[in-house]
Amino acid sequence: MKPLIEVTNLSKTYGKKSTAFRALKDINLTINEGETVAIVGKSGSGKSTLMHLLALLDQPTTGTIKINDINSHKLKQRQLNRLRNREFGFVFQQFFMNANDSVLNNVLLPLKISSTRRRARKKLALDALKTVGLEDKASNKANDLSGGQKQRVCIARAIVNNPKIIFADEPTGNLDSVTGDKVIKLLFDLNRNKKVTLIIVTHDLELANKCQRQIHIKDGKITKDTGTKTSATKKEAKK
Amino acid sequence: MRLIDIIKTANHNLFQNKIRTFLTILAIFIGSFTIVLNTAINSGVNSFIDKQVESIGGDGFIEVFPAAMYDQVNSAMKSGTAATEYNPDTGSALSSNISDSDLEKLRKVEGVNTLEIFHMLSPEWITSNHTDKKYNVAIEYFPNTDFNVDLSAGQMLDHEAKDYEILLTEEYLEPLGFKDPEDAIDKTITIGFKQTTLCYTQPDNCIKKVDAKVVGVQAPGILSMSGELQINAALSDAIYDGSMKGVPVETAAKANIIAVGSVDPEKLDNIREKFRNIGYEIMTIDDTVGMIRTFLDVVLIVFTIFGAIALLAASIGIINTLFMSVQERTREIGLMKALGMGSGKIFLLFSLEATLLGFWGSVFGIAVSVAAGLAGNGIAHSTFLADFPTFSLTEFTPLNVVVITLTIMLVAFVSGTLPAIKAARKNPIDALRYE
Ligand SMILES: Nc1ncnc2c1ncn2[C@@H]1O[C@H](COP(=O)(O)OP(=O)(O)OP(=O)(O)O)[C@@H](O)[C@H]1O
Ligand SMILES: [Mg+2]
Repeated sequence: MKPLIEVTNLSKTYGKKSTAFRALKDINLTINEGETVAIVGKSGSGKSTLMHLLALLDQPTTGTIKINDINSHKLKQRQLNRLRNREFGFVFQQFFMNANDSVLNNVLLPLKISSTRRRARKKLALDALKTVGLEDKASNKANDLSGGQKQRVCIARAIVNNPKIIFADEPTGNLDSVTGDKVIKLLFDLNRNKKVTLIIVTHDLELANKCQRQIHIKDGKITKDTGTKTSATKKEAKK
Repeated sequence: MRLIDIIKTANHNLFQNKIRTFLTILAIFIGSFTIVLNTAINSGVNSFIDKQVESIGGDGFIEVFPAAMYDQVNSAMKSGTAATEYNPDTGSALSSNISDSDLEKLRKVEGVNTLEIFHMLSPEWITSNHTDKKYNVAIEYFPNTDFNVDLSAGQMLDHEAKDYEILLTEEYLEPLGFKDPEDAIDKTITIGFKQTTLCYTQPDNCIKKVDAKVVGVQAPGILSMSGELQINAALSDAIYDGSMKGVPVETAAKANIIAVGSVDPEKLDNIREKFRNIGYEIMTIDDTVGMIRTFLDVVLIVFTIFGAIALLAASIGIINTLFMSVQERTREIGLMKALGMGSGKIFLLFSLEATLLGFWGSVFGIAVSVAAGLAGNGIAHSTFLADFPTFSLTEFTPLNVVVITLTIMLVAFVSGTLPAIKAARKNPIDALRYE
């Protein structure tokens, strides 16, 4: 298995001097291609912080992150933008949608940014909406959707660019168990069929257990990392 | 992101907060409206003057004044004494002299075709049988008749005729008691002038009178704007001889003299320069209207400054609007950056939003000023410009409109840079966490 993200001695400190807060302390981990990883821990433990660092949305205070064997420090801003735009899909904890824009426009935003042609991006966005079961809401105003529908729009946006890695922060946080299961199934299908690596932040243990690997975080430290399961245990997990 | 998408998004963002955008555009609109309408009026009036000057002809016509006299003539024209009531205390005399040797020198200047001595006449007043009042008057006798004088009634002067003839302007009709141009034709008016020698002995009784027949009435136009009434050769001689009666011949020949002639219009600048060195000033038809142009230019500058101040205030409005827009869109900016949009594009997005504010402001300004200009033309043509059907008070040239729009867009763009830089510098995570 090929290492996709390698993290060494990573730490993140917010604020300066008296208000300084060490949100992550000396994190070391390697995520392989095609893996499904759950980051679990209590509220405020640093899960989102870690996810943002892995997704190169933020700079670590110390330590290095290598993506495909390339040190993230060495990437130019342009390359970084391109990487996030083309290879990553994001589901943020608080949705982050343009409330006044249509559902369709929200979903196709990554494609707009990547300068995809109008017709192509509309088609891809409608496909993504169909995947999350919201194709009939395409022209609705994003703000008019229910919480769960918004969450699914965010998932559609995360998958619209056919990413290699999906970073999802509490993707089922606002969903009832039935819809939640649907979303989870969708993500795991992408993993199975398209080899998409999943990095999911959650405090839902059921969801965490569906992942091949669980990384437990407490007060910014990894307390437990189940590591990549063998293929035998993987089959077992599927049952 | 493609440029077209950036423009569309910027325009879309613009209309998210309609009232704020409207108010900002309104401020820009005021500046653009002022400047566009003002430029249009200026170019309308100027092209009217051009047409008039062109229609008069007499491109190469010059009047030559001794330098000292030039100032007198100039200020007399500026104060605009035409058809105002006569006041015996102020009088009207101008004195000047052109020596024979100077005349020879002037004639030799390259480009001068003809140059003749010409007696300036300065009558005291004009009146008619139909009024008790006397009015100030300036008269002019153009020996060479290469002017196209527009007449609203009657006919052109006959310089060969023995009868005394005069052309009135419409300004004089009512004061002299005529109903309309037709009414004045073939009527008699009286001109009073000083007999210079008599004034030394009988200062209160030295004014002589001469009657002349009105043969035509000059249509309003640039020539009549100078306020001078044209007379024929016979009347000119009569007034000159009358005013110089009793003056020794050599002295008389030197009083109230200017020179008129025709020159090659191409060489005018050069001729003017040479004449000035000899001590003489030239006045062309263009110079006569030049004063009107100078006035128009001053008006243009004043209003453009008003417009510019309005735009300056508007650009502060743009900065404010954009800062608010950046603040409101903090999360959106964070999201776009997280999804891989570069800082340059973010900058472009917001500075385009500012530029579009400028664009819409100037477009509305232009639209409203064109509407106001057309309405103004209509009103003007049915009232004070009824005599000038071809004159449009406002003239919108595409070049002016485009230049003004681009300038305003540039001002708006510059105003937008500061907020746009602020947006471009936002860190995606901080922006996303912004509540
Ligand atoms: N910009 C910041 N400035 C200061 N402190 C911050 C900042 N961002 C996060 N923190 C702190 O870092 C810690 C980790 O935050 P993080 O958002 O990663 O928690 P989390 O594990 O995702 O929690 P939750 O499950 O509630 O989302 C928290 O104590 C938080 O207060
Ligand atoms: Mg979190």
